[in-house]
Amino acid sequence: MASFPQNFRFGEFVGSLIWLIFWILVIVTLVALPLIFIILFYVPLPEIDGEVLTPYLFLTSILYPQSAIPVIESFLDTTLFKVAVFPGFTYGAIIAAATIFIERKFLAKMQLRVGPLYAGKIEGILQLIADGLKLISKEIIIPSGADKVIFWAAPIAYVATAAAVVALIPAAPGWVVADIDVGLVAVFAILGFFPLIALLFSWASNSKYPFIGGLRALHQMIAFEIPFILSALSVVVLSGTLNLTEVVESQIQSYWFIFFLPISAFVFYISSLAELERIPFDLPEAEAEIVAGWLTETSGMIYGLLQLGSYIKTYALAALFVVLFLGGWAGPQIFPTIESTEAMIYDATVANAIFWFTLKTFGVILLMLLPRGISPRIRIDILLHTGWYKLIVLAFINMFVALALIYGGVLGPGGLLVR
Amino acid sequence: MTSIEEKFEESKRLGLQIVKESEEDRLMTLSVGPQHPGSGHFRFVIKVDGDYIVFCDPDPGYVHRGEEKMCEYRNVIQNIPHLERPVIHDSANINYSYSLAIEELVGIEVPRRGQFIRAIASELNRQVYTLYWLAIYGIFLGHSTMFMWPTGDRELMIDLLEALTGARVTHAFNIPGGVRNDIPEGFKDRCLSQIKYLQKRFKEYEDIFYNNPLFRQRTEGVAVLSKEDAIKLGVTGSVVRASSVPFDVRKAEPYDIYNEIDFKVQYMKTGDCFARSYVPLLDMQESCYILEQLLDKMPASGEVRAKLQPNPKGPPGEAYRRVESGRGALGYYIVSDGTPKPYRVKMSVGSFRNMLALPYLLVGQRLADMPAVYWSLNYWPVEADR
Amino acid sequence: MTSAGGFIKSIESGSKHLVIKRFTLRYPEQKLKFVGDGYQFDPKRGVGIAGYRGRHILFHDKCTGCQLCAIACEGIAEAIGMVKVGDEQQQWKQNKKGIMPQIDYGKCVFCGFCVDACPFYALFMTNDYELSAFTKEHLIYTPAQLAVKPKYQGDVEIVIDERGATHG
Repeated sequence: MASFPQNFRFGEFVGSLIWLIFWILVIVTLVALPLIFIILFYVPLPEIDGEVLTPYLFLTSILYPQSAIPVIESFLDTTLFKVAVFPGFTYGAIIAAATIFIERKFLAKMQLRVGPLYAGKIEGILQLIADGLKLISKEIIIPSGADKVIFWAAPIAYVATAAAVVALIPAAPGWVVADIDVGLVAVFAILGFFPLIALLFSWASNSKYPFIGGLRALHQMIAFEIPFILSALSVVVLSGTLNLTEVVESQIQSYWFIFFLPISAFVFYISSLAELERIPFDLPEAEAEIVAGWLTETSGMIYGLLQLGSYIKTYALAALFVVLFLGGWAGPQIFPTIESTEAMIYDATVANAIFWFTLKTFGVILLMLLPRGISPRIRIDILLHTGWYKLIVLAFINMFVALALIYGGVLGPGGLLVR
Repeated sequence: MTSIEEKFEESKRLGLQIVKESEEDRLMTLSVGPQHPGSGHFRFVIKVDGDYIVFCDPDPGYVHRGEEKMCEYRNVIQNIPHLERPVIHDSANINYSYSLAIEELVGIEVPRRGQFIRAIASELNRQVYTLYWLAIYGIFLGHSTMFMWPTGDRELMIDLLEALTGARVTHAFNIPGGVRNDIPEGFKDRCLSQIKYLQKRFKEYEDIFYNNPLFRQRTEGVAVLSKEDAIKLGVTGSVVRASSVPFDVRKAEPYDIYNEIDFKVQYMKTGDCFARSYVPLLDMQESCYILEQLLDKMPASGEVRAKLQPNPKGPPGEAYRRVESGRGALGYYIVSDGTPKPYRVKMSVGSFRNMLALPYLLVGQRLADMPAVYWSLNYWPVEADR
Repeated sequence: MTSAGGFIKSIESGSKHLVIKRFTLRYPEQKLKFVGDGYQFDPKRGVGIAGYRGRHILFHDKCTGCQLCAIACEGIAEAIGMVKVGDEQQQWKQNKKGIMPQIDYGKCVFCGFCVDACPFYALFMTNDYELSAFTKEHLIYTPAQLAVKPKYQGDVEIVIDERGATHG
């Protein structure tokens, strides 16, 4: 507040509005209209009910809303919708954004204070938009001597890899971006890419503190990948398939796997905390020791992209936990089926599946946020000792339990507890 | 590397390698400078071999303002707001020591009720400072909840001090001759209820921080300071009490009415980082007992301030008095030459003496232990630089 | 398994705080209450009267222009300067020289030693601490501005009950 606030003049206000309208008209005539005509001429439009879809046909839905339903239904079937909206990037990004806000308010309540309060009328709900605008408007500083190609490419690769993990996770029956038969192995193959990105980015920063942070990230992520995979293998033993959709189907037929594999679920939970670099495992980003670890030289939108990627990864690993141990989308049917002769978008089973899946994912995310409030940071030697000794032993114990259940005929095809 | 002579030789030998001398030099030099989230207004240069620290060179002086020289241009009362700025949270103790030295030089007798109120302000300030120190210790180890809880609980004490003195920090309350004003109404009940609440909060701190296995793994057995080394290095305050030396200025050289108060000197025998972080909590609990006794034994009425001339001056001489502050023994050595302005003021602060232990404790520790060890020495950068 | 016990206790301690009320004071909707009217000094008895050290208040009918407050502040912050007040219409009987202190709040450290120095009950301090201004010149309060009694309304204080402490 170092300058005087300017007086309001009505003439200047009207002038600024006219200036805005002028620029809107210029952009529409010079950019938007040619784009629409290019699309109409060159892009083959789909056929719906025997008629080619044109924007003019779409505009008739203003008068007859029912004619828009076949359009929306055909759009829901396309791969673009699955990748971009649900269960792909937009869904993951919305849950990630909600996670950031909930994390700040949850931690604030545990620490007897108020979190973000002033952005937005209700308890700071627009804080994320304010943060996003701030990060976009900041200057991106690249240190001299830094490797520019990797500096720009690594955050984008981080977000892309996180989104690739999201692409493999089923959120409802039939709603998966990539239905691969070896889905679980593909998830671990993609997760193995993250330590590389951290190391490359820290080396490209050309500075001492990111160097130490990158090495710590490498040690940590590699050490915890093995207990991660071993704990998921117990699930594979019990369900007999690597396809994630069929894992959920086998849990719907018997009971949720967390009742048979509690130790594996615990090992999976701890390993996912380590993969996500959350407290107590945030050594690569330890603030009091190595200033910000491998994120030291990031600023502006590069930092924003890395945080977005980190929270999308949080959603992905929490969703994986739900799919593997908590029964995916299984739950009592609470959405009523509506019988109707006309075509409808609403499908009772799918809506039910989405509801239960989202609820369980939020529960697991809350459980992942809890250690941030109650524990300090761990040290690297204790971390490596825990990852290589204790967790692998625990994962093996539960794998033997799972094998005993299969050979004893309790689970598996024709087992006692299979409904 | 256990004895202090071996560590000293090792540091001297490596101290000659300031720059990278050959291609086989595998040490990395890190400057934990003033722009570091883990250092405060202080800089130290460390050399790291892999994950182990092999050399540390503290570099204070970033907040030096020449307090001792400035005192020579102002008279005795005008020095008070200046001298409390080195430690704004603990200002009652730093003014307490100065007032005791001036009273000895000029020859002032402080009334009894004033002595009690001075001691009450000093104990409250000790708790305020120690809670702030504990909060920063938590955040250095990555425990953000342990940063918020003591900072919130400290607000109760600060509110109380605001009712008593008129300002939240930098109270300018203990002056030569007593205190500036009497206690307000309702102070005693408020103080007692807040002490009870604070003792309940200490249990919460123990649950979530001190008994947390992760915290214990990080601090037990780290940077052990043995009893002989502690005495040889001359550290003071909670650092020396954690190495099984039960030294507390309030018991060793009692000042004012501290010989009438019954309290124990809390000390621990292990001398590692955990002991150095736990002794201040024990000190705070003792401080609560002392406050209850002070409020109980205070005379119901009386003067709180001795009347002074406008420019107090005494015969030429010198005086040295010291006081137990939040960081250790804080002493003033004042030389007067018969004029109202002191001739020389020398402050001997606990932080600067504790800093001398930093190079010897850090050598051989991991890089991750650096904030834990550095802050456990109870070091306040502004006070060490004066 | 003491470490498991330690973890469970810390989780329990952390989760217990989810049901305790928050401690934050929501300034400026809530403002703290002060006891009394501000710091004052009684020269006859030689002690001060406990109160908050905020903005000063100058009583024009008691100030004699003796400059003791300015002399006391000279070694501390040099925030008080004496200015001429009054003209043919307005004169004060006890203030023959016609000078009164003006205080520069850009320099004042609110220590209160000027109040201790005044022997005529003319300079006290009040509860007002909201002194922000847009320019540095606006921070210099003339004797006429210092005579205005501030309106400060605060009614929130710390309340301790069984469930914890809160501002209410």
